[in-house]
Amino acid sequence: MSSNNTPKRWRISRRGFLIGAGSTGAVLALGWLVGLPRIRLAISDAAEGTEKAFSRGAPKATPTQWFVIKSDNTIELYVQKIEMGQGIHTALAQIAADELDIPWENIRVIAATTGSAVDDPNGTGNSESVVSHYLPLRQAAGTLRDMLRADVASTWGVAASALTISDGVIRHNDKSMTFGEVVAQHKGEWTVPETAPTLKSPDQFRYIGKAQPRVDLPAKIVGDAKYGHDMRLPNMLWGVVARPTQFGATIASVDPKDAASMPGVVSVIVEDQFVAVAAEHKSQAMNALGAMQITWNTPQPLLQQADIDAATTVQAGSGVIIQTEGAVDWTGDDVIRMEFRSPMAVHAHLEPQAALVDVRDDGVDAWVSTQVPVGLHDAIAEALERDKTQVKVHPVYLGGGFGRRLEPTLGVEAARLSRAAKRPVYVSWNRAEEFRNGFVRPPTHHVMQGKVSADGTITAIEHHFASGDVLLTIFPPAVGTFIGWDIGAARGAKLYYTASTGKRTIGQRVALPIATSFWRGLGLLANGFAIESMIDEMAHRVGMDALEFRLKNLPDTRFGERMKRTLTAAANAAGWGKPLPAGRAHGIACSADAGTCVAQVAEISIVDNQIRVHHVYAAVDAGLVINPTGVQTQTEGGIVMGLGSTLIEQLTVVDGTFSAFNFDRYPLLRNSQAPDITVVLTGGEDDPGGMGEPPIGPVAGAVANAVFALTGKRLTTLPLAL
Amino acid sequence: MELRINGTNYAIADLGDTRPLLNVIRDELNLTGTKIGCAIGVCGACTVHIDGVAVRACQTPVNSVVGKEIRTIEGLAADGTLHPVQQAFLELQAPQCGWCMSGQMMTAAALLAQNANPSADDIVTAMDNNYCRCGTYHRIRQAVARAAAIQQERNA
Repeated sequence: MSSNNTPKRWRISRRGFLIGAGSTGAVLALGWLVGLPRIRLAISDAAEGTEKAFSRGAPKATPTQWFVIKSDNTIELYVQKIEMGQGIHTALAQIAADELDIPWENIRVIAATTGSAVDDPNGTGNSESVVSHYLPLRQAAGTLRDMLRADVASTWGVAASALTISDGVIRHNDKSMTFGEVVAQHKGEWTVPETAPTLKSPDQFRYIGKAQPRVDLPAKIVGDAKYGHDMRLPNMLWGVVARPTQFGATIASVDPKDAASMPGVVSVIVEDQFVAVAAEHKSQAMNALGAMQITWNTPQPLLQQADIDAATTVQAGSGVIIQTEGAVDWTGDDVIRMEFRSPMAVHAHLEPQAALVDVRDDGVDAWVSTQVPVGLHDAIAEALERDKTQVKVHPVYLGGGFGRRLEPTLGVEAARLSRAAKRPVYVSWNRAEEFRNGFVRPPTHHVMQGKVSADGTITAIEHHFASGDVLLTIFPPAVGTFIGWDIGAARGAKLYYTASTGKRTIGQRVALPIATSFWRGLGLLANGFAIESMIDEMAHRVGMDALEFRLKNLPDTRFGERMKRTLTAAANAAGWGKPLPAGRAHGIACSADAGTCVAQVAEISIVDNQIRVHHVYAAVDAGLVINPTGVQTQTEGGIVMGLGSTLIEQLTVVDGTFSAFNFDRYPLLRNSQAPDITVVLTGGEDDPGGMGEPPIGPVAGAVANAVFALTGKRLTTLPLAL
Repeated sequence: MELRINGTNYAIADLGDTRPLLNVIRDELNLTGTKIGCAIGVCGACTVHIDGVAVRACQTPVNSVVGKEIRTIEGLAADGTLHPVQQAFLELQAPQCGWCMSGQMMTAAALLAQNANPSADDIVTAMDNNYCRCGTYHRIRQAVARAAAIQQERNA
């Protein structure tokens, strides 16, 4: 997919850049390392600093991202950030093309195969692809531009400062050269300048801040784009794997019968807890697996929803204090105490996950629907007992991610089958497997307590939440026991309103006997629902307008001012406070996540005793916006996905399995249930904030608060039911 | 056994069964532009046209469509020109991950073929059985309305 023009050897410059030694002179490759998320590495010490961070022993002098300039003026940008609908390839292209000053159509973003350089250890998630790449990418692009300029200056015998660059062309008087021509005519080694490039000032931006069309859509609208589930190879086999239908069930016994001699069957594997078949056609593989006699050991007694609810309950005195200021006192008649619950939910990415793996003597190639190619690379190498350098994971488009594809072992099954069959093997999951055999969003329980003075000042507030694990699931069990709270479940849990005497947030870990983990925003949706409903109730108790109450109780810090401006913008867009048609009401809520402030006003009515959301007015301060359309679409998507959880989605446990394993019993939000959405951008300064997750934060609270405004009912359990 | 898809005849194995058209299209003919979501006829990702009517390929037995005109997303653009629906979905930047979009666009194209000037309600009704997990519904509605306008401009 991407290895053709990959320079195989890199040498390091004094400034820590990496110059690719291509096989011909017609290619210039410049690479750089991007460090751990949220650490803005100065490019000059990128190599040294990042090598320390790569404790897994990355080879020296190889980049995590790189450019290749080709003689036809195409500039390829290799990254390992996965495009799953969030528009990341477009945003990264905008950042690079801007600083390079090249025509938009000249840049190509290529998802880099693992092992073609040092791999990006961070995967794609946490709303941080733009955040972590913005400055390093600009500095690398600026350096590349300066190298080309210096080369031409030397050829023409003029000062570099006398040259102008625009649209990928370097000019001096009546002479000009394209970037591609410079590279094609260059002789000898390239030198990285000793000085850092002068980056454009924001008023010089030509792509950053502009609504640039998505680079991946032309292929997607004609059905050409290849996703993980679409990957095929000549001679490939179809694999199926026996999976339990109940929680914790293990294979007790297997009688393969005559599966191995059934039509089309090439390979049957019966190993400890791994029973699988590879055949010429998928139906043949399924028939063979079905013919095998598999008995399961199922843990008794069977798990029930009551067990989940009982475990997911805040216990006074339990948990870990993760935020504390001043003192709180929960005695007296004036304590407002409310409880909230959110249920389990599936990701429901519409593309079921799939892996195609080709295990050969000379190497292993894997095409896998994953957000973490590096994790899979390691897992496949380990399962096959092959050297990591022999395994290549090729990133593919994802039909939605939402955290589900952070699972680090997908592809191992297909790899084991391919090793046995000595042919490429493709394993896809069906929808029931996606429901039952992956992981789900953990259930939560929240106890909010607060006191408010008659003038509308919050005097004290506390948020104590209990959640199934999110981030702890990727650590050994002892870590969770030791830490006692889950940093993922705590996304959006801390209280950013001021409180005159004190505030406190307590996180309580719940270890459940089912797999829970990442789901878009992690704890953000549930925590936002609890906090913003409580704030709304406090405003109501003192008879204050919900917007005014928030503005009064947000801090006078820079963050507080951003949030106030964002709330005000959402309210203005919605016509907050103005009369609405009969039967309609507004609710407001806000949240902050990944450096981005979001506020939303939901306009609702009740139709046939069902909540109907007509319009959501959102304001977003995402700092410097790379692509306004991207910010808008991520906001729209977060709102609609959050509305699904607000209005209908709920996964429960019945007799040791889930209540649903397809969309007939777990419907998603439909077009007719999805509101019109207005998005107002209120930021624009500083560096970019994240956008993949923050907009999901306020939506449940905004709708619940609108229901309260309309009906006087304070709904405290998701999904909201009248 | 032969299927006619996007104007081309494809020979397929006659296994004497009623395997879903979707499996044949994606897994045997490698026309992977048609997507799979739920395989129970709920999500709409596998929507194709049979004689111009939008149907769920996952619920369509392959032996029931022999001799009929099957159209998939790969055949929606004609002579290198995007279908009005494709042009409109691109203009509105409607797709996010894009997985549901073949089904969305095939559903929309079937609507416009029988109703050149759909009302807002017509659009919601026609598009209501196609899931989009990325949450692009609001843009899909705008895009289908825009597609109707493009179709009228082209026919004018």
